[in-house]
Amino acid sequence: MRYLKEVLQSRELLANLTLREIRGQYKRTIFGQLWSLVNPLASMLVYTLVFAFIIRVQPEAGDPSGLDIFAVWLLCGLLPFAFFSNVVQQGMGSILGNVGLVQKVYFARIVLPLSKVGSVGYNWLFEMGVLVVVLVICGAFVWPWLPLVVVTMFLLAVFAAGLALILAVANVHFRDTQYFVSIIMQIWMYLTPIIYPISLVATQSDKYGGLFGTSVTILDIYRINPMERFVAVFRQLLYDNRWPNPQDFLLCAIWALAVFCVGLWVFRRSEKGLAEAL
Amino acid sequence: MEIEHVSKKFRLYHERNQSIKSAIMRGRRSVHEDFWALKDVGFEVPVGSTFGLIGSNGSGKSTLLKCLAKIYYPETGRITYNGKIAALLEVGSGFHPELSGRENIFLNGSILGMSKKEITGKFDEIVNFSGVEQFIDQPVKNYSSGMYVRLGFSVAINVNPDILVVDEVLAVGDTEFQAKCAQKFVDFKNEGRTVILVSHSMESVREMCDSAAWLSHGELVKVGPADETITAYLESLPGASAA
Repeated sequence: MRYLKEVLQSRELLANLTLREIRGQYKRTIFGQLWSLVNPLASMLVYTLVFAFIIRVQPEAGDPSGLDIFAVWLLCGLLPFAFFSNVVQQGMGSILGNVGLVQKVYFARIVLPLSKVGSVGYNWLFEMGVLVVVLVICGAFVWPWLPLVVVTMFLLAVFAAGLALILAVANVHFRDTQYFVSIIMQIWMYLTPIIYPISLVATQSDKYGGLFGTSVTILDIYRINPMERFVAVFRQLLYDNRWPNPQDFLLCAIWALAVFCVGLWVFRRSEKGLAEAL
Repeated sequence: MEIEHVSKKFRLYHERNQSIKSAIMRGRRSVHEDFWALKDVGFEVPVGSTFGLIGSNGSGKSTLLKCLAKIYYPETGRITYNGKIAALLEVGSGFHPELSGRENIFLNGSILGMSKKEITGKFDEIVNFSGVEQFIDQPVKNYSSGMYVRLGFSVAINVNPDILVVDEVLAVGDTEFQAKCAQKFVDFKNEGRTVILVSHSMESVREMCDSAAWLSHGELVKVGPADETITAYLESLPGASAA
């Protein structure tokens, strides 16, 4: 509790560090903030070309929205995952990237990874805003669902922050972590139904049935992945325009809270040793 | 401020496990020996005094300062104090080169623990003290190194702590700026604040400090009035008779 109070007291510092990231990020570029759109846009083009045009993956049309556009369907899952992956990777490096500060000034170190959540989140907010405009143009009726979208975005941010806290500490002690995680993130993305619908996994899973004589199917194992739930909720809200599946939504909240608590605990325990370990 | 039996241990690694591979291969045991940078150091710093820490290189002065600044945590012993503490171990840490001087003042101030309101209130004072008014809206990467340090120092000195911990940053800027800094420390003292500083310049310690502590190889050798401690320290040095 005392720790949380100290963190709360540093919120102004957190805001300032976040602003530093945001302002410093696109300085001296001609397109400025537009650059944050380029990355997801480029991935969208490539994935759409390969998976919709060449391999012919066909996700179901949005129900009840009636949308049937692969690129938009893709973005509803791709943008949240890109945010998650960026927060984890940048947050992980935030302690190492600020050695000068950590070794010379005392402040609540937790603001370093958290400020990355803020700055990456700012870009994400911008991207999601553009996505909403695109959805509206395509004829989706998203307005009533936006409050829930914001809640889910917050949950995902909490989840990503928790993971970033754990990995930031790990990265100080073992520099391998950052290389390891960038590979994990790639694998993780392909193990989440972002560029293909989960129905394809279900089909395969049905074919094999229960594994090793139990009733556990491939799909059950596949769905342990918390990002699968997050992506599902985002699609239900944005692409289908309907209430999210309560089980999915609840699991998102539980995962977020659990991981964040573990992250906080790990970070708090090792915070004092960080300056020495660097 | 009281420092009681403070000891600080560092591990000197012969073979360090800084990668997962080596940690696993060696079964998580890394080879190290302990090095005690501070051994059972204890003294008291009276409120409102200026206190100097002297000693040769590697005697543990900076380690002690970092313990005071809560950057390192001692293995044993306690450090207790009343009021707000601020450490000036390096100036301008946390400046973002692409941001303007103005933005950096707010950023650096909040890193040092000031609220936005405090910084706004002190803004003019900070800028005046640094003497970079003309360039305040320029990115700090275009500053000369002197301007950079002066701005950093001005922010730090305006944090207004009850206890200020300073590590040899007095030697920044030109003569004029140094005089300003010295004046600021005198003001600090007159306001009843405590200053703890580390310096190799015996003249400045003699001039500014009421009392001093002499550290050698992590151990406290002598603590007392500044003059006596400095004399004892200088006499211990080889070739002291000549000086």
